[in-house]
Amino acid sequence: MVLNDKDMRSAWEKVENYFQGSSIWMKWYCTGCGAIELPPTLTSRFDMERLGMGPMATPRQADILLITGYLSFKTLRRVIYSYEQMQEPKYIVAFGSCTVNGGIYYDSYSVMNRLDFYLPVDLYIAGCMPRPEAILNGFKELKSMIKAGKAEGYKKYKENYEWYRKNQIHSLKEVYVKDEFHE
Amino acid sequence: MNSMNKIIDYLKETYEIKSVKSPMDMQFHFETEKKLVHSILGDLKSKGFKQLSLITAVDWIEENEFQLTYILFNWDNGIHAILNTRLDRDNPKFTTILPIFPGAEYYERDVHEFFGIEFKGNEKSFKPLFLEMWDELPPLRKDFDPQAFSDKTFPKMEYTTQFLTDVGGVNNEGS
Repeated sequence: MVLNDKDMRSAWEKVENYFQGSSIWMKWYCTGCGAIELPPTLTSRFDMERLGMGPMATPRQADILLITGYLSFKTLRRVIYSYEQMQEPKYIVAFGSCTVNGGIYYDSYSVMNRLDFYLPVDLYIAGCMPRPEAILNGFKELKSMIKAGKAEGYKKYKENYEWYRKNQIHSLKEVYVKDEFHE
Repeated sequence: MNSMNKIIDYLKETYEIKSVKSPMDMQFHFETEKKLVHSILGDLKSKGFKQLSLITAVDWIEENEFQLTYILFNWDNGIHAILNTRLDRDNPKFTTILPIFPGAEYYERDVHEFFGIEFKGNEKSFKPLFLEMWDELPPLRKDFDPQAFSDKTFPKMEYTTQFLTDVGGVNNEGS
């Protein structure tokens, strides 16, 4: 992690980061109500593709995991699986106030309160719900972070893997996805 | 309205049912003994109530009882029939209605998971549905404390900034 302002990247990394920041593909993990703000962001009114962003079908081909809203026991296990399948460089954008502090589900029996205990979050877009303008503004911020080499959540996850795993086990008991429909 | 009164009269004549009420047009609910539930459900199905819309439960903790609710719908005349029955809360056991409505499998599984009511004859209802690896009290019982469970299981966001709570002159007296 770069703590001081000095840029420690090599010339090759600078070029790499520039191109990564200019074209980003997103995997939307639409568990919560936030999914409803994404169709207007994507389609003709706000049109996020003019800014170089687009949706992608599978986690293995995506750069960004966009988590829209609350995560329960069942979905948190699956989102950890999806994140670990993604190829580097990978970034997480957490969306809505549920991922920040639980939102209206602060005392729920199955909804987690704080996403950055389990996965490294590069950028939060707060609000309940954030409007498409806020989403576009958040992605503009993320693009400048990637170009400056400051979005390093995936490196943090590798370095502090024990800590993240300990938190995941504390809340979930076991990060194992049982899929009864394919038994 | 007429066909609804007809079915209510038929039920009153044939079975021991009590507290029949019609809170809305085209909808009536009644309460019955748990022994009669299967025969009434089968009878209503043969009278056109072919769709089982929902099975759910209510926890009446002061009366030490669970209320089971079956909601049926008739597509021919648009009438909802709501059947309620009471179970003992200390030993919540009931028999499945799978032979009458095969679609009840997931509803019974859901009720078993959230209230702990066991349905004999429905083996799949003992499998977890939404809450995997749950070993506490069933979460929709009234004596389950969700805040304590959430504090224990999920780490909270900690705020270091102190926010002012009495801004706007709420505590100002005489000014």
